[in-house]
Amino acid sequence: MPGLDVMLEKLKILADSAKYDVSCSSSGADRTKTNKMGTAAVSGICHSWSADGRCISLLKILFSNRCVYDCEYCVNRRSADVQRASFEPEELAKLTIEFYKRNYIEGLFLSSAVEVSPDYTAERILKALSLLREKYGFSGYIHAKIIPGVSAELVRQIGMQADRLSVNIELPTKESLAILAPQKKAAGILTPMRQITNTMKEQKSLKGAGNRFSKLKQGNDYLLNGMALPTAVREQEAKYGMVPYDKGSLHRFAPAGQTTQMIIGATPESDRQIIRMSESLYKKFQMKRVYFSAYIPVVSSSKLPALLTPPPLLREHRLYQADWLLRFYGFSAEELLDEDSPFFDLELDPKVTWALRHLELFPLEINKVSMEELLRIPGVGNISAMRIVRQRRLGAVTFDDLKKIGVVVKRARYFITCNGKYYGAGDIASECIRERMLSQEKIRSGLLPREKEEQLSLFGSERRNLLYEPKEAARGLLV
Amino acid sequence: MDYLYDGSFEGFLCCIYAHYYKKRAEGIYPENHYQRTMLQPFFIVETEAEKAEKVYKAIQNKISNASLQRVYKAFLSNDIQKETKLLNYLVLGFRIGKKVDALHSETVVYQVQQLEHKVAAEQHRLLGLVRFSAIEGKKEKDKEKDKEKDISSDAGRHILYSAIEPDHNILELIADHFAQRFPEETFIMHDIKREKALFCQNGDWYLGHLRKELTYAVSEDELEYRKLWKKYFNSIAITERTNADCQKRCMPVRYWKNLTEFHSYP
Repeated sequence: MPGLDVMLEKLKILADSAKYDVSCSSSGADRTKTNKMGTAAVSGICHSWSADGRCISLLKILFSNRCVYDCEYCVNRRSADVQRASFEPEELAKLTIEFYKRNYIEGLFLSSAVEVSPDYTAERILKALSLLREKYGFSGYIHAKIIPGVSAELVRQIGMQADRLSVNIELPTKESLAILAPQKKAAGILTPMRQITNTMKEQKSLKGAGNRFSKLKQGNDYLLNGMALPTAVREQEAKYGMVPYDKGSLHRFAPAGQTTQMIIGATPESDRQIIRMSESLYKKFQMKRVYFSAYIPVVSSSKLPALLTPPPLLREHRLYQADWLLRFYGFSAEELLDEDSPFFDLELDPKVTWALRHLELFPLEINKVSMEELLRIPGVGNISAMRIVRQRRLGAVTFDDLKKIGVVVKRARYFITCNGKYYGAGDIASECIRERMLSQEKIRSGLLPREKEEQLSLFGSERRNLLYEPKEAARGLLV
Repeated sequence: MDYLYDGSFEGFLCCIYAHYYKKRAEGIYPENHYQRTMLQPFFIVETEAEKAEKVYKAIQNKISNASLQRVYKAFLSNDIQKETKLLNYLVLGFRIGKKVDALHSETVVYQVQQLEHKVAAEQHRLLGLVRFSAIEGKKEKDKEKDKEKDISSDAGRHILYSAIEPDHNILELIADHFAQRFPEETFIMHDIKREKALFCQNGDWYLGHLRKELTYAVSEDELEYRKLWKKYFNSIAITERTNADCQKRCMPVRYWKNLTEFHSYP
């Protein structure tokens, strides 16, 4: 082990470079009574929260930030002027085990810049993971990042050590990828994704996202939006698709499934494109999660928003809300956004926006409608819908009961009747409800950090343009 | 009639027993926190294992297992009205049986459900917010003795110690989790507020008394890992997204004094 000062420096540089990766969860793997150091809790456990309010669950760190690629959006790109460092596999394994023992972390999230070549980097990652698992007997949670373009055999071996794998798609269309990350090819990203899905399917552990009300599990094989697989990839899949794995072994391939992430706001894609892309990722690859990362300008480039542009945090928040609607509420991307309105209303959450566009379906009678319909009511969640269904077997649910059941009454009241009575104060016209909702929503907006750029305005459509215009203007000044 | 008991779960169950077989109880309170008044008669209930066992079985058989778990969790809360709330819940439960589990809109059920929820939430939260320190397991003179006898000083070298101050009495609820997670470690989890501690070795644990003041020597590299963790904690935050409100909402400030990352190290 090097001295403390060297380790502090490395940790600082490599954590700093890893922080833009948003995935944080340690859920999905259930491993108790391992008789070795470490367990994995199926719900995931947060261990701390950093100053930006994001949870710290795993030791999220890069193996190295020495990169041969030159992706425009990335803080570690080859031409960037940042300090560089790399861990040795042994240092990283020791650090993880000592942090874990003190209950600082739930496990390791290991990613890396592309040092020398994808395969070289993946081998180093594999070395660190094997050390951790075998030498230190660690059986806690490991999330490993698969670098696009890595060989199939290495993906398989890393998958046998890790609980969760992820390949970052980064940008929602091939065009954006070609502009901002010219060395990454769509095929290089999709091939390992497909391989991971196939391997899990083979070992019969492919579960996918969401609950039983989600439409994502029906396996509709939509073509990826503008990212159809090239023939060469299909041929490769035929070759590597059936990766053999050791059935008798205790180790399984990626028991917690795979995830991916997309950068939001670096390129001009609409919310509709993004949410359709994530829906098809869920359906096609049966991903566990698709994460969104609000783009924070780290480099000055003519192809990207200017350096002073604030990250589109509110937009990211709305996309996550929509993502929940996809996974747990039985919505489809097509329902949430249509071609006429390709962006989410930044002032109201996507479920309310949807409900206001479909007032003809409301009000719904709490005591009669099905579980699926209950889930469509703004202010009613999975738990409260389940409680309503359970409770009404014993007797009618009254309006006063709803709060105790956990329904957000101030939002739900406009969309329901209870025993035939409507409590939304007379008017169900969409504008009227919207006005009233907005005043409540403004109170709640403390949820997000306050910034001038994100301040709420009453006019939705103008608001959206505002997000882009300052960027254009500022770009002219800076470049 | 108010019933007073010794503060244990068994004692509380005996009060329920007395409520049915002696005289109706209006409220149940722990002995040492009871405010006596002239008007309200009270009675101190003896804790008897046999009666407690009977009530325990009755809840399981006549109401449900889920309710038994709910009652136990709610009992661990620090709510001063908890016993009375639980009494009302159990009375309703014994009357209508298993249905009480799903009667979310009934005030009596709602109150207990809230208690249960708070305890369960803190239980989960504490799984993450415990911080262990490696402390020297052996005194200096023991080490010298080992050296004389030529025993490798590596075996049982350190003990993990952690101090916590949870709102609710959740030590026993998180015991299994940590016992399974660190089957080869010896550790102590110290609830400073209640002067209780969990002692665990080789995956077995027991609860015992441990006074508030405690002096111990941390092991050699402990300070290094604390510094490394603090460095990591500070580096991982994205400056552009700083959101102190969100941080405090997820991790209330009252927990901070026992968290390694909020201390400063020389």
